[in-house]
Amino acid sequence: MTQEESIPGGGATPLDAAASAALALEAVASGASAAAVLAVAPGAHAGSRLLLVVDPDQGERVHGTLGLPALDDSAVAVARAAVADPRHRDGLVTLPEDVEAYVEVRRPVPDLVIVGAGHIALPMARMGAELGFRVWVLDDRPDFATRERFPSAHRVMRADFSDPFRDVSIHRHTHVLLVTRGHRYDYECLVEILRNPARPAYIGMIGSRRRVRATFLQLLDDGIPKERLGEIHAPVGLDIGAETPEEIAVAVAAELVKVRRGGTGASLRDMERVEERYFPGGEGA
Amino acid sequence: MTYQDDVAVERALASARAAGRPCALATVVATRGSTPRKVGASLVVDPEEGLTGTVGGGCGEAEVIEAAHRVLASRHPERIRVDLTEALTSWSPAVCGGTMDVFIEFVPARPGGGGA
Repeated sequence: MTQEESIPGGGATPLDAAASAALALEAVASGASAAAVLAVAPGAHAGSRLLLVVDPDQGERVHGTLGLPALDDSAVAVARAAVADPRHRDGLVTLPEDVEAYVEVRRPVPDLVIVGAGHIALPMARMGAELGFRVWVLDDRPDFATRERFPSAHRVMRADFSDPFRDVSIHRHTHVLLVTRGHRYDYECLVEILRNPARPAYIGMIGSRRRVRATFLQLLDDGIPKERLGEIHAPVGLDIGAETPEEIAVAVAAELVKVRRGGTGASLRDMERVEERYFPGGEGA
Repeated sequence: MTYQDDVAVERALASARAAGRPCALATVVATRGSTPRKVGASLVVDPEEGLTGTVGGGCGEAEVIEAAHRVLASRHPERIRVDLTEALTSWSPAVCGGTMDVFIEFVPARPGGGGA
């Protein structure tokens, strides 16, 4: 970070909601976090805002002002703490001079890259978008990789499976799902990801148990280090007995949430041992 | 607020600006009790294009939209408390039983256009 930009009050031009929203969106789309501090009371300050952008590579930038250097100082401190706290919840804080402010944090956008635009990709793209992912769909077949089929996707792209990620950057907020029309293509894409030093948040690959076993053996043969095999979610998804494309997408969606939030994937009633504890004749009776 | 919600709000604000129109942005900044939307939910009120997003629908939202029109006229922000508790006995399915504080700001047609 450059010292000048990090000095609160350095971004002394007022920042309105439209400009702030654009800056925050740009930040999270490029892997940075953003925290907006919006004064809501008293009247003299209400409506003024400050935005702190924290980029893991480029450091901090401050935009806007609450009107007083001392207020900006504490707003930056509050914003910085909020970004650093994974359990932060948006809401009101009180700054010096009894200024009440609303603090809102935006994290880097998680990407879901679906490779293969077939029957599983359709429900998966919809669910991914609803879960807050920025969805990319790739296929080498122009009839499948169409905007009409994937209206909720961020990008629908034609890609050659020999160089599938040419126009998509794979980073630590990327979730990749390999569901191409042929297992050979899934494998080529998988090798491509594993040879890349960037470690995505999730790699899922469709395939039966037998296929998956053959894949792992082949990967070792191809010189992929053993410790990277543990990153692969294959067979893909949680065990809910999924059969249809929609059900498979639910199983994968549940696994994506599990990776992001933690959790066991078990039924809560089983974890609570409801039958044993609450039913007559159980231990609680 | 998902990324898609943020994109929708940003686009609504940007398109009003591109067309040279001011608009209003309402944000739920605090809630108490049970409310239809949580803190962070937001609604863009564009006098030409209408509404983008939601702060919960129903009577509560109607109050917010009314306030947004006042903000558009005065160019000054407002903070209102929407009370969803009073109608508890009405048996309406829209009843939630909580209150929410909504901050409504004026978004000028040009950056730095003032009004705050």
